[in-house]
Amino acid sequence: MKEVPVKIEQNGAWLSIRLGLEEDHLVIPPPINRKILFRDVVNLDERKNLLILTVKGEPETVYRILTVEKVIMVMRRLILMLCNAYRLNAYFLSPAVRGGVLVTDAQWEKGAIVVVRTGIWFVSSVKQVCIPLLDVADIQLTKKEVQGRQTDVVKIDHVDAGEVVTSFVLCPISTLQILFNFLTDATKSIEMRGDELDEYDQQVAMLVYSGMDSSAIINMLSVNNKRLNTIYDKLIGLGIAEVVEIRREVKLTTKGIKYIADATKQ
Amino acid sequence: MGRILIVDDTLFMRTLLKNILFSGGHTIVGEAADGEEGIAKYQELKPDLVTMDVVMPKMNGIESLKGIRQFDPAAKVVMCTAVGQEQMVKLAIKTGARGYIVKPFQAPKVLEEVKNVLAS
Repeated sequence: MKEVPVKIEQNGAWLSIRLGLEEDHLVIPPPINRKILFRDVVNLDERKNLLILTVKGEPETVYRILTVEKVIMVMRRLILMLCNAYRLNAYFLSPAVRGGVLVTDAQWEKGAIVVVRTGIWFVSSVKQVCIPLLDVADIQLTKKEVQGRQTDVVKIDHVDAGEVVTSFVLCPISTLQILFNFLTDATKSIEMRGDELDEYDQQVAMLVYSGMDSSAIINMLSVNNKRLNTIYDKLIGLGIAEVVEIRREVKLTTKGIKYIADATKQ
Repeated sequence: MGRILIVDDTLFMRTLLKNILFSGGHTIVGEAADGEEGIAKYQELKPDLVTMDVVMPKMNGIESLKGIRQFDPAAKVVMCTAVGQEQMVKLAIKTGARGYIVKPFQAPKVLEEVKNVLAS
């Protein structure tokens, strides 16, 4: 059995241990003392160098394991290939577009798609990419040119570090349809009818997407602050936008005007 | 920082690009609403870089790119395409486009792409 150094959380404290890794299970030594079969892992989440495993049972147990990227790579791969999840062989292209700019060196990779409770993992021999379901902005079953032919693919847009990233999944159409239905169902909380915004609201939303602030939008659309606030309220109400900063507009008092007037005399 | 010509048939997208590029310290030397006007403005203004919409009336972005490259083979043109227009992107590459922006786009990435193309 291989052993790897990790830190594991227990009752809010981090314990340094040597975690045992086998092909189909891992062993957490005392004081936790637990053998975890990978097929019992029902969810795998990741935050930087932290792996979060949810293991089935009554109740389910969550393990937080902190370690270096190299070890995480090995653990992720072992767990993702055997865990309790929707898994299919596929080709993926991720990221294909980042922030609206085509990633020119992006290539189709052969691997697997693993859909766990909180995210979609793309796993190849060299790469493991996770798209958290909460960050998925759009899913489409569409066509993309692959080796000169229009081919059915699933297109996934998600938000990563404030940028919208587009990825594509390619596999037989029947499997794609299942994947599409699964993802659509898993992300239905973000679905909208499509007629909630009028053209003007959409323009404001597009400008916010592009990174424009309030003053730029006011200038570009010749809209007044009150109208813009009404549109913002609508976007916020629909869950499309959130407030990140509240700015104040001020005007000088008589005292302030006198101060400036005096200052310019000197 | 570069002198940039924006070619797009929608005023909204031109205004958006203008704001993004201006915020990145670039100078917008001109705007054109179709491919023909794009070629004419390029010849007149000789910008450092052109952002070129693909789908436009009168003359599309690919034809306009060809026209600009005939006039100046070293022209730096960044195409603005929609996701799914791979055919157009391929054609643009063959025709000599230096960069690609996919709509809808985000300001930091547009500025990064423009910076890369200007530096190339």
